[in-house]
Amino acid sequence: MMSNQGEPAIRLDRVGVVKQKRPVLAEVTLSFEPGGAYSILGPSGAGKTTLLRLLNRLEDPTTGSLRFHGTPYGQVSAIALRRRVAMVFQVPVLFPGNVGDNLCTALRLQHRDDRVDEAELTRLLELVELDGAMLTRDAAALSVGQKQRVCIARALLTAPEVLLLDEPTAALDPTTAHRLIAAIVGLSRRQRLTLIMVSHQPELARAFGGEVIVLVAGRVVEQSRAAQFFVAPATEQGRRYLDGTLMGTPP
Amino acid sequence: MSAQLIDPTWYQLAAATALVVLAIGLSAARGLGLERDLTVAAARTLVQLLAIGYVLGFVFSTHSPALIVGILLLMLVIAAWTVAARQRRPTHGLRLLVLGALSTGCGLTLVLGTQVILRIEPWYNPYYLIPLMGMVIGNSLNSATLAVERLDSDLRSGRDQVEALLALGATSRQAAAAAVRSAMKAAMIPIINSMMVVGLVSLPGMMTGQILGGNAPLIAIKYQVLIMYMIAFSTAVTAFVLTTLRARSYFTGAHQLREEALQE
Repeated sequence: MMSNQGEPAIRLDRVGVVKQKRPVLAEVTLSFEPGGAYSILGPSGAGKTTLLRLLNRLEDPTTGSLRFHGTPYGQVSAIALRRRVAMVFQVPVLFPGNVGDNLCTALRLQHRDDRVDEAELTRLLELVELDGAMLTRDAAALSVGQKQRVCIARALLTAPEVLLLDEPTAALDPTTAHRLIAAIVGLSRRQRLTLIMVSHQPELARAFGGEVIVLVAGRVVEQSRAAQFFVAPATEQGRRYLDGTLMGTPP
Repeated sequence: MSAQLIDPTWYQLAAATALVVLAIGLSAARGLGLERDLTVAAARTLVQLLAIGYVLGFVFSTHSPALIVGILLLMLVIAAWTVAARQRRPTHGLRLLVLGALSTGCGLTLVLGTQVILRIEPWYNPYYLIPLMGMVIGNSLNSATLAVERLDSDLRSGRDQVEALLALGATSRQAAAAAVRSAMKAAMIPIINSMMVVGLVSLPGMMTGQILGGNAPLIAIKYQVLIMYMIAFSTAVTAFVLTTLRARSYFTGAHQLREEALQE
């Protein structure tokens, strides 16, 4: 896959999505730089998950274009793209088998599961702060927080450049959530991973750092450094979102 | 032992009606409210079978290969429409898909069974083609219904699993593989069960019919074995074609789940 110097990892240009005649996203223009951390915030129904699904190409936009290192999404194989731009879903989905089997899913899909390196699997588990001894545990027996960590480790097996996280802590209690976010942030520093996280919890975005993108009714209303956003939002809608007075605004 | 075939007279058939009347009486006595349904069903049995009896009598007498093949195709079309009608949203695409799968499965089975194995003369001999096709289609139709139902419900309820696999770089075929497997299994189980218990708890209708018709039990049994193997083959081929194509219709060329397909 081409890697054009100076191009953002992913670039969206005037992207619009219409589902069942209803606009879900409109005029979204964004750039995600390599190694950056981005939080996408916004009330429910703002189009956050749809935006993430576009980046992983689980959906295509109705209008506008997406580029991966300058190459239009349509010219990249969806399968190759998804290995470079990995996605972790809101509800962790584990497949039957033990934790090790789950981590190897991407290898198995490429019929390369004869090349499983146990040390590599242990390293992946340690990245998400799980014990290497868990490899042989039945995946179904894990707690939700552990499952979500296994999902993240599983997504990292193909050594992606971009990791998309859809409310990765939605099913977790606040303490576990903050520890998971800290683990993910530490991970990106060590791996030079571009992180894009959807959340409706501003305090998680603050812990996440990087940049904040606020999405309201399918439009980007603010994009600022997290450090600045939480002190002084640049826009009125950004401020109302932080105040909580934007919550419940119908999309 | 020569079985003298009794040709039931119309009076005898009228007397058999008494059996249904008694069943209706039982329904009324228990307050089941099935009297009307039983009456209609009994009447339909008589009318439909009489009609098909005359049609078959006519077709058999014409010795026209075109007409016989036409009847076989008509049977396939009716079966495909029946399978589609069982689904929540029978679309035209589904009807054609089932028609294609049934035609492949049943057509291939009939050709192999009658032309390669039995070698019937003439090749269009309706005394073999029509009853064998009827049995093969009847069973494949049930299998096809089960396969579509299972595939649709697995893909819809397992959407998270399918997309989790896609997100990990699975092709659409890999992402749907589990659902396709379970749908094919669902389609194959009835004939496997039938083959397991045939002769022990069930005496198949065709075999019974042949014995009543005066054939030696051993001949009847050979035909029964042949037909069961034909059904096993035809359900496997039908389910294979159907689940493969149906699963494909759920995805775009870019290995994405089609929202419209999930909502159909």
